[in-house]
Amino acid sequence: METINPSFEKELAQLKERLEEAEDVRRAITRGEVDAFVVGPGANARVLLLANAYQRYRQLVERMHQGAITATPGGQMLFANQRFADLVGVPLAQLYTAPLESYVAVGDRAQLSRFLMLSARDSHVEVDVQRSDGVAIPVRISIASFADGYATLLVTDLRPMQWPTLAVDALDSIRNSLDRLNRDLPPDTRAQESLRSISEQLNGLARMIDEMLDVEQPKAAE
Amino acid sequence: MSTVEGADTPKWNLRLYTAGQSPKSLAALANLKRVCEEHLAGRYSIEVVDLLKNPRLAKDDQIVAIPTLVRKLPQPLRRIVGDLSDTERTLVGLQLKERK
Repeated sequence: METINPSFEKELAQLKERLEEAEDVRRAITRGEVDAFVVGPGANARVLLLANAYQRYRQLVERMHQGAITATPGGQMLFANQRFADLVGVPLAQLYTAPLESYVAVGDRAQLSRFLMLSARDSHVEVDVQRSDGVAIPVRISIASFADGYATLLVTDLRPMQWPTLAVDALDSIRNSLDRLNRDLPPDTRAQESLRSISEQLNGLARMIDEMLDVEQPKAAE
Repeated sequence: MSTVEGADTPKWNLRLYTAGQSPKSLAALANLKRVCEEHLAGRYSIEVVDLLKNPRLAKDDQIVAIPTLVRKLPQPLRRIVGDLSDTERTLVGLQLKERK
């Protein structure tokens, strides 16, 4: 009976173990049990995700209420979500590879350009986007991530944040008109009674708006 | 990196390599927790290593596909690639059950 060299036997065991590991990887891949791979050596290792691994986040980005864009440092859009397309009022397909600045008000374009070039340094910029129908919408563009030279940007419509201030201004204007009316009316009339009632309702509205502002802008101390 | 403690002095030291919250990574963690609770209750610790955050850590255990579970202790080191949905295979891989 032939004897097997111990070192050969050890090498054989190691090879068998490596083969089993390779077979385990192959089996996991063919059964769809993995959704990412590590590529590249040591310090340069990167993780590549399979397309289906992104699905959950893709749905989230597609449905969220903020605009999302991936742009080159030169400002060319490589990706945009439906919300951003709605914001600028053009079909989504029209946005891919289009320059982002073409949807920004002319006066804000230089600011946007500086922001994109220095996006790793600055966290956000406030500009007006120009809708296809000519309406300017104030937005905040902020950096969500910056990788491989591409910036992923979030675009927040600032109009809802301005609404309480606009409402307060409108209430003040109505109050002034009521005061003038009150002065012009003869005393002790039913009309003055109605004016007092309207004033009380306006004060109630003003308090509600103040509370809304308190909720949206928590005090620095909190 | 996060650790889920199963006991004060865990005898089984398991490391799960994940890719963020990818579906297979989440499935692997859920399956691993279930298997550990059923077979190693109070005797294990799970360390989750997110390779999306730090891909260089893949080198430590020669990880090529994600998710991968590595049994660090008890020795010898064992690797199981995949989402651990095949409980039988997971138990055999962890040497909690004899191969048929």
